[in-house]
Amino acid sequence: MIQLFHLFKKYGPHIALDDVNLRITKGEFVFVTGPSGAGKTTLLRLIFGAEKPERGYILINSINLTRISRSKMDLLHRKIGFVFQDFKLLPRRTVFENVAIALEVTGEPTRWIRERTRRTLELVGLEDKEKVYPLSLSGGEQQRVAIARAIVKGPMILLADEPTGNLDPDLTREIMALFRSIHQKGTTVVIATHSRDLLEDIPYRTILLQRGKLSGDTCA
Amino acid sequence: MRIRFRTYFLKQALRNIRENLTVHALGLGTMTSSLLIFGIFMLLFINVAGWIHGWGNSVSFSVYLKDDISPYRRDKVDSFLRQLRGEKTLRYISKEDAMADLKKTLGRHDAGLLDRLSSNPLPASYEVFFDRAQKQDLDPEALTSALAKLAGVADIQSSEEWLNDIKVIIDTVKLVSFFVGGLLCLCVIFIMTNTIKLTIFYRKAEIEILKLVGATDWFIKVPFLLEGIIQGFLSGVLTLLMLGGGYLFFATKEIQFFGMNSLNLVFLPLGHMALLFSISVALGMIGSLMALGRFFKV
Repeated sequence: MIQLFHLFKKYGPHIALDDVNLRITKGEFVFVTGPSGAGKTTLLRLIFGAEKPERGYILINSINLTRISRSKMDLLHRKIGFVFQDFKLLPRRTVFENVAIALEVTGEPTRWIRERTRRTLELVGLEDKEKVYPLSLSGGEQQRVAIARAIVKGPMILLADEPTGNLDPDLTREIMALFRSIHQKGTTVVIATHSRDLLEDIPYRTILLQRGKLSGDTCA
Repeated sequence: MRIRFRTYFLKQALRNIRENLTVHALGLGTMTSSLLIFGIFMLLFINVAGWIHGWGNSVSFSVYLKDDISPYRRDKVDSFLRQLRGEKTLRYISKEDAMADLKKTLGRHDAGLLDRLSSNPLPASYEVFFDRAQKQDLDPEALTSALAKLAGVADIQSSEEWLNDIKVIIDTVKLVSFFVGGLLCLCVIFIMTNTIKLTIFYRKAEIEILKLVGATDWFIKVPFLLEGIIQGFLSGVLTLLMLGGGYLFFATKEIQFFGMNSLNLVFLPLGHMALLFSISVALGMIGSLMALGRFFKV
């Protein structure tokens, strides 16, 4: 479960988030939407623990992220998957290596890592591309590699920042179907998007941010 | 540390080296050159110290005679020297013999210069060598002053005298080389730090992703640390191999030192080799740690 209490974050004079209170239950599928600069990415980064708020606190399964040690945060990152808008793939590593990197940090046996990575690549439909380098893939395929890396460790939470921002409508549908299948397996999914089409097509809880403030929640 | 992790770290370190081969090759070359200078100093000291120790075990005197010494006075000096206690070797070197010895030492090419002299400026002398067993029974200073009192004696030089002079020079050079060695170590650390910094910079994107997927700081740092250790290891091995090659080359040559022929060269003892190797590995590790500590903000 994700709980945010009176969250306040600013970058210099710019207020990114202002008194945000939110509760996302386990296994939920949530869209965070709003115009550019509304604070969507900041919200996701705070939930991920990549940044700390100036005020307020964040609980992930009752763990207070604002007080957690660095080493515990590293362990928590193994349970949270993050899909970036710009994919953040390593161009000099193969598709397989890009996905397997998320498991290497756990110190699990090589065979287990190999099997798990292959299974995940099958799930995202890239089983025949494991030896290919990311730059020779299409945008949709690169996004699927990024998703595979985020879900390969079986995260309890999956955060995605504008995962379809660079994709055409067909690929967007494909990627969203993938997110829904991940959600159906019990993962809490939080997707930041400014795409109205996406929200209209998929009837899930939608949180609206405007100028850093929570201005709408279809669940509330 | 789990075996799986150890394999991963080693693989990553080797991969980093492979992907930044030019940087590592340059770093390795500079590091090896610096350590080689240090090793040459070490080798030189081991040998010179050995020679001095060898010479220090025996005592010799050169008693130079005045040119106008009468045969009677020369016999007096001769009998004085022969009556000295202990096992000794006594050799009389006439002015002609001294000139012949000098010509031999200078070699055929330079000896021609001496032919232009109108008269032989070299004095006749006695060389007295006492063997090792006699050293503790001798008082070189007392003997020198007794010899100086003899009529017809121009000058006396004892081996103790110039041995002390050499020791002072060697001690000074030793001090300078410790300073130079220290500077070289700092250079090596600087080179190593920059090599690892470049590798860190090269892998910046990967480090960012590793942090995002939950890698601990040490999981990211260990391969870089290993990189430094591997470079130190390779540098140590290369330095020892090059020193060994140089030693084999010079050991087959006839070496002169202070006019003395055929000095025996020895290679670094095992302890010194281990020390040089350990310094190399330690410097590699320190360089990596500094790069990680100062520039690796994950």
